Amino acid sequence: MRAPRPLTRLAAAAAVVAVTAATITLGLLSAAPFASASTGVGWIRLAHLSPNTPAVDVYLYSFRDPSAKIVLHHVSYGTVSGFEQVPAGDYTVAMRAAGASPGSKPVLSTAVDVVAGHAYTVAGMGPASGLRLQIIPDRLSTPPGKALVRVIQASLNQDVVTVKAGHATLARHLKFASVTGYRVVKPGTWQIRVVGSSEQATVSQPLMAGSLYTLVVLDENGHLAVDCLMDAEGSKVAPMGAPATGLGGTAARPGGALLPWAAIGLTGLLAAGTGLVLVSRRRRPALHSR
Amino acid sequence: MSPIRLIRRPWAAAAALLGVVMLCGAAAGLASASHTGRPATPPTGTPPLVPVPKGKWAAAPSPTTTSVPRPTALDIPAIGVKTRLIRLGLTAAGTLQVPSTASVAGWYTGSPRPGETGAAVIAGHIDSYAGPGVFYRLKNLKPGDLVYVQRGRGTLAVFKVTAVRMFPKTRFPTAAVYGPVPDAQLRLVTCGGTFDPATGHYLSNVIVFASLRPGLRPSRRAAAAR
Repeated sequence: MRAPRPLTRLAAAAAVVAVTAATITLGLLSAAPFASASTGVGWIRLAHLSPNTPAVDVYLYSFRDPSAKIVLHHVSYGTVSGFEQVPAGDYTVAMRAAGASPGSKPVLSTAVDVVAGHAYTVAGMGPASGLRLQIIPDRLSTPPGKALVRVIQASLNQDVVTVKAGHATLARHLKFASVTGYRVVKPGTWQIRVVGSSEQATVSQPLMAGSLYTLVVLDENGHLAVDCLMDAEGSKVAPMGAPATGLGGTAARPGGALLPWAAIGLTGLLAAGTGLVLVSRRRRPALHSR
Repeated sequence: MSPIRLIRRPWAAAAALLGVVMLCGAAAGLASASHTGRPATPPTGTPPLVPVPKGKWAAAPSPTTTSVPRPTALDIPAIGVKTRLIRLGLTAAGTLQVPSTASVAGWYTGSPRPGETGAAVIAGHIDSYAGPGVFYRLKNLKPGDLVYVQRGRGTLAVFKVTAVRMFPKTRFPTAAVYGPVPDAQLRLVTCGGTFDPATGHYLSNVIVFASLRPGLRPSRRAAAAR
């Protein structure tokens, strides 16, 4: 018999690879979750924090989509929207004067890359003469049993402020149009005190474990004010482990072990096969006659 | 096959005979072993008819929303679930309390209230010792299905399913279930996967993720923070 041709061998190898790949793919697919949303999501919210800028219309566009995903009309200073859940991806935020045509050139615009599982606050910040759109990333986790608080200073009248929660300092000499990092705070109801150059403001605020807050320092009717926004809330205490929510009344009950019988069967098949092949083999013709 | 051939190769013949005997024995053994087992009761058939609850759908919470009413009942018409909601706390060991009966679901009081910012957690049994429990069909939910939570003062927090996943208990996604999120969401939790008769516990959890589907949006003006 001639040796197998190289092409045949190659074809055989390719077939083996193809079958293996198909089997692995099927295996992976069968381990996938049964029903799930397609891609990741993130969150975005919009804010107007420029004291001497008039009301604006704020538009959120998905990259390359000319029709706006979200439009907020007549957003005035001090307004912060709730978070909108959006598919992860590239977005554009644009601000136009309130009532301006959607087709007109925006006063300001910026690109935002929303990463899955992340949240962003896009805020008009600074004085009207130097208005800018700032992308402020929002954190979405706290140390166990604690709250996280940060401060946005949006008061033009009180150029520099110091903010305390009880005795803890959240912001020291914070300049207008600045944002602090998050500070860890023990949960409880706190007296939040904002001290500016010429005025003070106080607010009593419950801060819960597992939640994150932003204090926004503002000018309200010519006076200092502070708003406490809840950015994200979680369970106050995360239970340990996994819930035991099943008692087995509908679960499969195993029968006798199948594996030993399957092993015996396979061995028997091999033995029978080998035996039959050997029995039915023709004798090779003798190379040399006696 | 000529008898002469068989006699000429006795060992091969013996191997063949032994193989056939083993095959027959294995077939009989497999048949008997699979008879004593019992397959899982599959959640087939039509689920009970549960009407869509009436009521005003809650709006999305604003950044300064004060507390919303506590949840009282749960309706999931897509899988025939209709249950009041009891309150679940923590056990002495710090684990999640579970309902003492398989026929009701419970809201974890340490989690945000349904409709508030954050992920409200509701747990229920997949089965009792004897048969199906309130969350027996939970894994049949699909993205887009609606989940209705009734609350005091008659408002409904309505959630839309975004994902249905199963996790081994050794890798329970604590952060994804109990961690902070910036919008109003819901987590429905039950057991699933393989049941271990030695310990009396399932080896996995099924978790349904859902996000609030708000009612009338607060007009075209921004949801004001003040």
